[in-house]
Amino acid sequence: MTASPSRAPSTLLEVHDVRKSYVTNLVSTPVLHGINFSMLRGDFVAIMGQSGSGKSTLMNILGCLDTPTSGNYRLNDREVASLSRAELAVLRNQTIGFVFQSFNLLKRMTIQDNVALPLIYAGVSRGEARKRASEQLAKVGLGEYGQRQPNQLSGGQQQRVAIARALVADPPLILADEPTGNLDTKTSEEIMALLTMLNRERGQSIILVTHEPDIAAYASRLIRLKDGLILFDGPAAEGLHQMRIESSEALV
Amino acid sequence: MKFAHVFAEAFRAMLANPLRTMLTMLGIIIGIASVVLMLAIGDGIKKFIDKQLAVLGSNLVLVQSDTRKNVGARLRSGSVQTLTVDDAQQINSLASVGGAAPMLSTFSQIAYGNANSNSQVQGTTPETFKIRNLRMGKGIPLSEVDIASASRVAVLGKKLAEELFYKNDPIGQTIRIDNQSFQVIGVLDNEGQSFDTGDIGQVVLVPISTARVALIRTPTPRSVAYIVAQAKSAEQVNDMVADIEELLRDRHRIRADDADDFRVVNFGEFAKQGEAIGKGLAFALGFIGAVSLVVGGIGIMNIMLVSVTERTREIGIRMAIGAMPSDVLWQFLIEAVAICVVSGVIGIALSMGLAAAVNATGTFELTVGMRAILIATLFSGFVGVFFGFYPARRASKLQPVECLRYE
Repeated sequence: MTASPSRAPSTLLEVHDVRKSYVTNLVSTPVLHGINFSMLRGDFVAIMGQSGSGKSTLMNILGCLDTPTSGNYRLNDREVASLSRAELAVLRNQTIGFVFQSFNLLKRMTIQDNVALPLIYAGVSRGEARKRASEQLAKVGLGEYGQRQPNQLSGGQQQRVAIARALVADPPLILADEPTGNLDTKTSEEIMALLTMLNRERGQSIILVTHEPDIAAYASRLIRLKDGLILFDGPAAEGLHQMRIESSEALV
Repeated sequence: MKFAHVFAEAFRAMLANPLRTMLTMLGIIIGIASVVLMLAIGDGIKKFIDKQLAVLGSNLVLVQSDTRKNVGARLRSGSVQTLTVDDAQQINSLASVGGAAPMLSTFSQIAYGNANSNSQVQGTTPETFKIRNLRMGKGIPLSEVDIASASRVAVLGKKLAEELFYKNDPIGQTIRIDNQSFQVIGVLDNEGQSFDTGDIGQVVLVPISTARVALIRTPTPRSVAYIVAQAKSAEQVNDMVADIEELLRDRHRIRADDADDFRVVNFGEFAKQGEAIGKGLAFALGFIGAVSLVVGGIGIMNIMLVSVTERTREIGIRMAIGAMPSDVLWQFLIEAVAICVVSGVIGIALSMGLAAAVNATGTFELTVGMRAILIATLFSGFVGVFFGFYPARRASKLQPVECLRYE
């Protein structure tokens, strides 16, 4: 998935006035108050925000795991808001690769079968799916681990497997939710180096949800959320600088 | 492609918790084994009856004396002997009749040396050997000459011969029946239960003429206790019964509005009764089977619901990476069906083992047929679908966001 250099990168996703409220016991609690942004193919966006900022809700909507209460979400030239559960599943399968904080590999299944699973759901034959899974594992440096079980691998290795699984169906978007939250500093750096390499060398579009400024620094663009609204949207370096100033002011 | 994968996953899930799976399967195993045994018993009884009829003569009816209904005092059935050897002869010459033998019968003490036994002694004619499939193990059967001359000869049942003579040759030996001497001329080869004599191995057959003069007092010199008649073919049994009734009413001069002084017992009817008993037993087993299948099915539903809850996160992960609700539904449904079908196979194996154990005792033969196996397998699959559907549907309705949040 290399961005063609001959023309300007096209829009991968577009969020227009997305609102989300949760209704419990007839009381409606608004979480997102109208989010607007768009993302180009090949971009690397970090989304930051404190708990309660609506970060997780936005991530679920971007990941097509949930639908907005109102507003429009276009992903890869398709309008998501009106899709059925089954259509959303197909869209996730073809368009988004998920990387989770807790790796979320399936137990009792080999590494190879874990990576092959998105292809199985896409209807690819077992043999072909396993072959492509092995190739993808080799690309993340785990070519020899295909027949192991997830619990036989270290956290960093498991997260690499998860990245291989996210990449195996060649989706336009990788959605990484706190991918380094369960890893030590050194392993975190390795995982972030892998994601950065995918973005730079293969033009892979990535959305990274994190609360750590060090991790957000790997992205090129930063979106900060507060109370269900976008607080900052711009170059990552600028946004992080602004955050440092804010926190030092708070200390004073 | 997808299905092969779903099956592989179902078996992996079953093996993940072997004890729990095994306990869950128990109800279905018992249920299926009961159903298979029910069918085997049904078939077994039918075979048993067919075999009995084949051993002891098929298409037989028994003509018994009956109390005359127009006589003031009613007597016990068979206590009045209205039938005669002439009736037997006339029956024998009917077109639909293959053979007919007059019978007299009593219990007597049989003695040889120090050995003795109480056995049923039957006075009869050579016809009886033919129509009741009696085969000679040793010696010769009764002959017309023996009847005509009222010879003091006897043919012994196999077991009785062994009891009296151990390993010695009984042929030519003299036994005492109610203190009268009889010479043994033959030993039967037949085994099994007969409809009128009980154990055929214990019987003593003597010429009917000899029985009348030496052993059994009869009201008239030609009276007989009953007549056994055989139809020429299975299709002719009912015709034969009608022919015999017509003949005897005529011979006994019974007026049109009077009741018969005899009774024709059709052994085909007995066989039907036997089958009815078999059916009753099979029905009871079928009921037990049905109850344990329902209870087992509920157990499976319960365990599948637990499994869905336990694997909520797994469901979330699968949905996130592209499993459609229908994929999740199939996964859990196939898992429930796989549990049931594996239980069914074990249940069939168990019933085969039990059938083999019953067969080893030699009294009754149970065969687990393809039909039973097919029915059991379909049944277990159906239980899986029926009780697995609700948990599977519940799994498929889960929201991926909630599942991924589930710890």
